[in-house]
Amino acid sequence: MEHITDQVLDPEVLKRETENPTCGALVVFEGTVRNHHRGRQVQRMEYTAYKPLAERVLQELEEETKQRFGVVECRIVHRIGELAIGEASVVIVVRSAHRGDAFDAAEWAIDTLKQRVPIWKNDFYTDGTRAYQDGVPLSACGSGEHDSTASDSASSRGS
Amino acid sequence: MRIEFYGVLQEAAGREALELPIDAPSRVAHILEELGEQIPALQSHLPRIACAVGDEVIPRSEMVTGDAPLVLLPPVSGG
Repeated sequence: MEHITDQVLDPEVLKRETENPTCGALVVFEGTVRNHHRGRQVQRMEYTAYKPLAERVLQELEEETKQRFGVVECRIVHRIGELAIGEASVVIVVRSAHRGDAFDAAEWAIDTLKQRVPIWKNDFYTDGTRAYQDGVPLSACGSGEHDSTASDSASSRGS
Repeated sequence: MRIEFYGVLQEAAGREALELPIDAPSRVAHILEELGEQIPALQSHLPRIACAVGDEVIPRSEMVTGDAPLVLLPPVSGG
């Protein structure tokens, strides 16, 4: 199953894929494109990814989420390409026996996705300009010089 | 050696990829130094990028052969 797609995201598909009678909780997180960024009006957004790594990291993130929180199901799909305001850029579906674990797992999964997955937002503003959003440096480039920057950036939440 | 750019690095470099004339194997850190000299607009980005070959992020101390492209990844902003 792909984790990166240029197709419109459908949470119902992921809900059907993860149906599980042992679960009493279902949490669905959708990140959607909003019409403003740091005080500027956004008209649309373009997402790009380095797919070979993004696919692997998202697969590992699903597994790590399940192990870390003991949840039964976790599926994550991120969209790329041009998205209009209000469209979903990412969907995370978590199912667990009880609600607490599912809420915690979904929140951790989106927070961690923002730090680990090679995907980039390019904002197209209503004034005709565009700009890539600054983000979180991927940490494993060897020297460790990114660590403090990464934790700082991770505290500012996007979608 | 083929170098590929993603995100804001494509804008800074003015292209999606280039062939860097460099002996292989070479250390990633050395390749980045050469790249910064060839494309000064990349200089300010280099301290915060990650490097990958295939589906692996690699450290700057690693030697790469050039059999596969060296991929440069700027800070990420998914979600």
